[in-house]
Amino acid sequence: MNLHRVWAVTYKEWREIFRDRLFFAMSFVLPVGIFLVLGFGISFDVEKITFAVLDQDGTAMSRDFLHRFMDSRYFDYKGHVQSMRELDPLLAHSDIRFAIIIPPRFQEQLLAGQATSVQSLIDGVFPYRAEVAKGYLSAIIANFNAQSLISHVVGKSGISQEQARALVSPVRLESRYLYNQALRSQWSISSGLMMLVLMVTPPFLTALGVVREKENGSIYNIYASTISRSEFILGKLLPYLLISCINILILWWLVMNVFGTPFKGDPIFYYLTSVIYVICTAGVGLVVSLLVRTQVAAIMLTIVVSFVPAILYSGLLVPIESMGTTTKLESHLFPTLYYLRIAWGSFLKGLGWTELWFDVLALLVYAIILWLVGFLNFRKRPAE
Amino acid sequence: MNKRGLELWFSRVLAMTIKELKQLLRDPALLLIIGYFFTADVYLAGSGVNLSLKNASIMVIDRDHSAASRELIHRFRQPYFDLKGETISKNQSEALLDKGQILAVLDIPEHFQSNLFQGQQVAVQFQVDSSNTVLGTLASAYATEITAGFGQDFSAKKLGLTTDQQATLPIIQNRQRVLYNPNRIDGWFMSISELLTVITILSMMLPAAAAVREKERGTIEQLAVSPLSSLQILLPKVISMGLVILLGVAVCLFLIIIPVFHLPIKGSLGLFFAVTALYVFTTSGVGLFIATISRNLGQMAMLGILLLMPILLLSGAWTPPEAMPQAMRWGMRLSPLYYFNDLSYAILFKGAGLDVLWDSLLGLFVLGMGIFNFGVWRFRRQFE
Repeated sequence: MNLHRVWAVTYKEWREIFRDRLFFAMSFVLPVGIFLVLGFGISFDVEKITFAVLDQDGTAMSRDFLHRFMDSRYFDYKGHVQSMRELDPLLAHSDIRFAIIIPPRFQEQLLAGQATSVQSLIDGVFPYRAEVAKGYLSAIIANFNAQSLISHVVGKSGISQEQARALVSPVRLESRYLYNQALRSQWSISSGLMMLVLMVTPPFLTALGVVREKENGSIYNIYASTISRSEFILGKLLPYLLISCINILILWWLVMNVFGTPFKGDPIFYYLTSVIYVICTAGVGLVVSLLVRTQVAAIMLTIVVSFVPAILYSGLLVPIESMGTTTKLESHLFPTLYYLRIAWGSFLKGLGWTELWFDVLALLVYAIILWLVGFLNFRKRPAE
Repeated sequence: MNKRGLELWFSRVLAMTIKELKQLLRDPALLLIIGYFFTADVYLAGSGVNLSLKNASIMVIDRDHSAASRELIHRFRQPYFDLKGETISKNQSEALLDKGQILAVLDIPEHFQSNLFQGQQVAVQFQVDSSNTVLGTLASAYATEITAGFGQDFSAKKLGLTTDQQATLPIIQNRQRVLYNPNRIDGWFMSISELLTVITILSMMLPAAAAVREKERGTIEQLAVSPLSSLQILLPKVISMGLVILLGVAVCLFLIIIPVFHLPIKGSLGLFFAVTALYVFTTSGVGLFIATISRNLGQMAMLGILLLMPILLLSGAWTPPEAMPQAMRWGMRLSPLYYFNDLSYAILFKGAGLDVLWDSLLGLFVLGMGIFNFGVWRFRRQFE
């Protein structure tokens, strides 16, 4: 390999990128823009769930019960309705996510020491949100029941409040959230978004860089020159790698300073693995560029192999543990899964080489295979 | 415009549409990718991806080893939890949590059983890895439910209450009904969500790419000197790609979503296709706007992704509008996918008709007209 020739291609590519001002600006604006919008916008904190109430009892007790929902930050009260029929369009139009229906004689039955029932209708279109809403609802009702039972038992058998509480709920579960104590999804999302952004931008840069030459025909200059294929690929991709390596630092700074996510791991380890990851994702772009002839097809194929897996199969939005077997297998085929573990491990858990060596190895193997495939399949002969 | 003029106008648009379709047919790689999007991609997303907690690996530290502690442990089982076994030390369990091999640790204190029988309230610890907030939230919610159930049964047994007698306590029975997707099948939600994603990606990128390609190759000059107006140049690109996309949607619905996932379509399919056509038209307007700014496909791909990412992830499929910051919620109203999401789920899942949905449809229509005309206006200005 002749470094002089590599440098010549790099220099030429760099000038080309730099002269296309919009493209050059976008290669920095794009990652930061995506990162900021998604970092602020994506949230799994299920809060302010909208609901409406049909109170067929209208007593002090039913109002007291309903205030537990209205005063909660998890719910957003949208008003009372007068009949069941009014609920249907509200639910169908997504104005409310659930409805609570209090039956007549609610207070009367409870005061008489009888059980009553409260119905809730939950919009199940988004299964995860329905599940969380169900959980919140159950928790509020369980809380109400516990208090009601305690006063019932105290009144009936004359034991103390403490004893009654131990009788009603003998076991209390104390949940301790590790790594992200406040359950701030922004910490997880912002550090995880480094994976998403670095998966999306480098392949586009590299794939378009190579396919552009193919489509414009300027690649024939390369075919006709003395440069070897490895020199061409390396020289061609170096500027894009450099841009991505700078982007790692910018994103890292944003994760810590804009979103206030702590960094508990080893900075040198994290930077090195991020560079390996970028080499990997640039390799994805290289392989894409070999498979297609037009830039349109390159754009679409890059979306298929980078964008979709990064969103669906990385574990950022959808937990790997709850995937089906085929999807689980597929998720292990993409480098995103391994890098996400490194990112979360470094930011939130303070892990390093000892715990994450396997993921680093996976990324390395991935990078080597992609570049080898790219190198072997790049032909300096026009296709027949 | 007289009748002949109108005929001429349409025959020109038709000729250009045929030209666009032929051009698309001659790029087999691109066709293959479009086919993949509408079949395998939707299938994989729908069959494997879900946002629920299933078989989460947990471990137990049982410091009591009594009948009561075993009884509690055995309630942590499938479908939510998968008990991986017991560990003795906190260090060991923390190492496993660090590596992400288990999601949570249940820690039962000494004298668990004897304290229970003495009528004291006992606290059980549950350490959850919350670096993935979705899993953390759900795991802790289910664990709370399980322990509460254990506690209730324990007290009932202690007091010698039968199930009938429990109905004579002043408690609220929690009757929850999940509408539209009662079994909370993630496949229903995910396959439609992925289909909407695919429609968005294709309808934004394909017409835009077709327009920029003409610029990059210089064939736009030929079109500019032809008797075609800019609308006659742009409209065929949108019509041809729109036809391909609608065909893809039909294939996806009738070959994948309905037969494989058994999604019961509640509303009118005709209405859904009409809405889809309007949406494709709107989104392609965004694409055409991008096409006018960018001079080559590289720029177009970058700008496209910059707009595509927030549109896809912030239009309500991943994060409900209620949970976003106020500024983002206003921003969402500018995203056509926000309306399309509402409309699609309401039509397909909830069986809503025009009477309920007219305002979302109006929003999409106004937005679409605005965006499309802006795109055409910008395109026309390029030649002046």
